[in-house]
Amino acid sequence: MKSATVSALALSTILFSASAIFAQELATKDRIGTADAAKTLVVRLTNDSPNNSDPAIAEGYQKLFVDFIKKHPDWKMQMQFMSSDIGTEQAKMLEQAKAGNAPDCAAVDSFVLSQFMVNKVLADFTPYFSKEEVDDLFPFIRSGITDKDQTIRAWWWDTDLRVLYRNKSIVADAPQTWDDLKKAAIASTKEGMEGVLFNGGRWEGTTFDWLANYWALGGKLVDDSGKPVFGEGENKEKFLKALNYFKDLVDSGAAPKRVTTIANYDDMNAAAAAATTALFIGGNWQYAQLKSTLDEEEFKNWTFSPIPGPTADQKSTGTGGWTIASFSKDKEKIEMCANLARDVYMGPANALQQQLPTRKSLFDKYEVFSTEANKTFANALVDGQARPGVPIYPEISNQIQIMMGDVLSGTKKPEEALDAAFSAAMEAYKRL
Amino acid sequence: MSPIAIEADSPPQSRTFMRRFAGAPLPWIMPVIVVIGIFYLYPVIDVFRLSFTNATLIGENQQYTFGSIANALSSPQLPDILWATLIFVGGSVIGQQILGLAVAVTVIRGEKRGLFGTTILRTTALVAWVVPGIAGGIIWQMLFSEAPYGALNSILRLMHMPTVAWLSDPAMAPWSTLISNIWRGTAFSMVVMYAALKSIDPSLYEAAEVDGATASQQFFFVTLPQLRAAILVNMILITIQTVNTFDAIITLTGGGPGRATEVISLYVFNIVFRNYDLSGGSVLSVLMLIISLGLAFVYASFLPKEEEQ
Repeated sequence: MKSATVSALALSTILFSASAIFAQELATKDRIGTADAAKTLVVRLTNDSPNNSDPAIAEGYQKLFVDFIKKHPDWKMQMQFMSSDIGTEQAKMLEQAKAGNAPDCAAVDSFVLSQFMVNKVLADFTPYFSKEEVDDLFPFIRSGITDKDQTIRAWWWDTDLRVLYRNKSIVADAPQTWDDLKKAAIASTKEGMEGVLFNGGRWEGTTFDWLANYWALGGKLVDDSGKPVFGEGENKEKFLKALNYFKDLVDSGAAPKRVTTIANYDDMNAAAAAATTALFIGGNWQYAQLKSTLDEEEFKNWTFSPIPGPTADQKSTGTGGWTIASFSKDKEKIEMCANLARDVYMGPANALQQQLPTRKSLFDKYEVFSTEANKTFANALVDGQARPGVPIYPEISNQIQIMMGDVLSGTKKPEEALDAAFSAAMEAYKRL
Repeated sequence: MSPIAIEADSPPQSRTFMRRFAGAPLPWIMPVIVVIGIFYLYPVIDVFRLSFTNATLIGENQQYTFGSIANALSSPQLPDILWATLIFVGGSVIGQQILGLAVAVTVIRGEKRGLFGTTILRTTALVAWVVPGIAGGIIWQMLFSEAPYGALNSILRLMHMPTVAWLSDPAMAPWSTLISNIWRGTAFSMVVMYAALKSIDPSLYEAAEVDGATASQQFFFVTLPQLRAAILVNMILITIQTVNTFDAIITLTGGGPGRATEVISLYVFNIVFRNYDLSGGSVLSVLMLIISLGLAFVYASFLPKEEEQ
């Protein structure tokens, strides 16, 4: 009897200690903060979080999150992570937000932010950010997060842009115009390369990368009311010009036909690593990827320059990025979410992942952004243009992807494909 | 403890309660009905309801209308989508059926003769079946890659044969997606055919041999008629599975180039998650249901009747 009592006491002590240790653990796979913290913030994030596949970045984020929660000991964050199918994840979250079941705080892709704004599901972030912080944002970022009534609905913390990468040992000078790029690409094929690579498959990157050419001509996808206008009047002419430019790249052999199957920036990295291309249009983040993929000598050959325009003076580039927003109605939770955006993402996360900040001053604050490459990216943001923040944009993008496949594969003539895309976008617009 | 023992232990009131429902199945199956109703039936009913509305993921004013049905069914894209679906489903049914039967017959023959490797063959075929659709799509994307280092084209180059535009040519891409789907689904057909072949009465083959039937005559006049029910059931299952397949296609081609490989399930996905059009997506989901049910009824009408069996 005595030994049974002693065993029971020992067991309960072990169990109690285990639960106490568990409660004190500040970071688990799905929780940041102690398990017994009184307040809970449900947070849904992308891989820009402790869920990152790169162990060093995951560890860096974990440290940032733990440091953050230590400043807020009453709180714990219940973590949820999105899959890589971002479009679907964001659509699901919008549906949840409309039903009142969205997380308290979440990552919202900048190009679908307007959908959330239109549905009035985002909390007001205005009280939690100073005028100086807001004024320091790049203009396209500021307008992207500001509602019609000048309320700040999210905090856009990182941005990116597209550039033309080239192997200097094959293409010595940066192509400045569309003609330059075509000539350089054809010349590279004579040295056994595939020509210039770009996204041409069925995904958002195809639309976004190509839009730089349309924007460089001054084309508009939608008018001020959000109605599609890309298939009418002057915009149609500009659209056809930019579309014919891509078609000509493929028809002339400056780009391989397989661009219609490229639906991933990693394909370009793979081609660079296999030394089968000397030119590709990619994102600024690929510079670090190339550095880690290629050996040192090979990497020295690679550099980047702005995406060529129809003329040397007409240039543009697409900019994207992620925001943090709150769906909560509880003021304490909204403030906690805004604190997360400021203390973890606005600066520290940019530096950790070398993702371009959205505030000018942060480029000087962090040493990682003082490299020549990051300074060049920062300067290129001057030509940056965000995708229109209107509800019809995802369908316009879908139609442009279909159109691009039809035109580059020779199934449809450019004007016929454009008319079909515009007509489908207008049909969808009427239903929204 | 047996049910009788439970009843013996139960108080008299509880025993009366259980006796009262002893002959009535409804209370016993009610939990299943509730679970199925909530998790299966309600979403189906809601899809039917949404197809009679103008619901979108954005927009507040949901109204009942026939407009969504008219819009979805009169869409100029729909004929192309249905054609791509027909190629994909029809080709998958025929390809998976033939290859599944061929593998099953080979395995059965190998087993009969005690050949080495039949289990390996059976297991290898099953591996393709357990690979998730998205992973299968990625595997085939690497095989079909038209980059200079793409797997299949590299083999063709080694053999001094012209390379193939597997995914960039709109005429070729549907066949490439079909090959990947047949690869994935053959194992399922093999399992069904293998089980059916095993159940054929061996005395039928003995009688055929006594009558002097050749191997091919035995196959066409004994095996195939005996497999009729299994083949038709298999066709129903493959059709339903393939009409609903989109994970492998979205990874392999995304529906492109253009709309060359955009089957109806992928079209519905795009309409709901890219265009936020819930009602349009619901109308087409109902259309998918009708297509699957219609084909299932057609196949079922060819099933042997009880007296035939």
